[in-house]
Amino acid sequence: MDENKQTHAQSEHAPNDTVHLPGGRSITLPGGIYTFVFVILALLTVFEIIVAELPDGFFTLPLLLLASLLKAVLVVTFYMHLNTDNRIFRLVLLIPVGVMLLSAMWLLAVPPVAW
Amino acid sequence: MSEVSIQHTDVSVSQAAARAKAKALRVSNYKFAMWLYLASEVVIFGTLIAAYAVFRYNNPEVVHEVHKEAGVLLVAINTFLLLMSSWCMVMGLRDIQMGNRQGLIRWIAATAVLGTVFIALQAVEYSVLSAAGVLMTPGAEFHAFAAHFYPPTFFHGLHVFVGVLWAVIWVIIPAMRGSYGPGDYLGVEFFGLYWHFVDVVWIVLFTVIYLW
Repeated sequence: MDENKQTHAQSEHAPNDTVHLPGGRSITLPGGIYTFVFVILALLTVFEIIVAELPDGFFTLPLLLLASLLKAVLVVTFYMHLNTDNRIFRLVLLIPVGVMLLSAMWLLAVPPVAW
Repeated sequence: MSEVSIQHTDVSVSQAAARAKAKALRVSNYKFAMWLYLASEVVIFGTLIAAYAVFRYNNPEVVHEVHKEAGVLLVAINTFLLLMSSWCMVMGLRDIQMGNRQGLIRWIAATAVLGTVFIALQAVEYSVLSAAGVLMTPGAEFHAFAAHFYPPTFFHGLHVFVGVLWAVIWVIIPAMRGSYGPGDYLGVEFFGLYWHFVDVVWIVLFTVIYLW
């Protein structure tokens, strides 16, 4: 085998135009799962903008955060291939994200002037 | 004679397998290093975003006032541009996996163009905001907001700029000179990881800074 050729995870990302949906259905479109994810990302962004433009309510922030989280997970899973790559990469990403979230929540709990 | 030939073939196969295994391990190690780098970026951006979140939580009126001044249209366009650039990036990777080097060049060029337009629109946005008094200068109307808004967004813009340079210097030009192929695209994957990470950061910034 050529020294420059790669094996391992790269061969797992075989291009395929068919996207398998829940319920056993499937659709075929140019770019396959990558295009499908892009469409979902665009729709979620439109959803976020609509939610943000509506009057502030109890569900505004949770809905925005949920949509944002979903978008981030889609990019990391399908575009950055965390679904097929080595599982340790997930830990490498999740540990700092967890620490950051805990730190942010701690800071938010501190009153602006004093306890 | 034939036994010698079979033994020779066995040795060649085992050597090839060992080389392939070593190569796979090396690729995995390089990727691990890239993920560690991205993890360090998470910490930096996390700190900046947390600082903004605390400011937003304690000063909702100021943020609403700035949002009214700036509007969401420009950043919404920028968000779509960056999402589209991520899609172009991954389509370029897909093309090189299929052995289409011209496709890779076209898609990555599109990624770089979209990144450049993103930076240009961010400059326009900054000029709109500075005209509205969102300045780092002490004493400016929205100085406190500016002190929490500009660091994360500018740092992100800087990453987009580096990404555009990366795309041109380490992906497009080498590809035009014949680098990369269906079994040799680690450099493209590295750039992809970086670019998609920058996209993920923008997804969070867009929600926390511009929509909340």
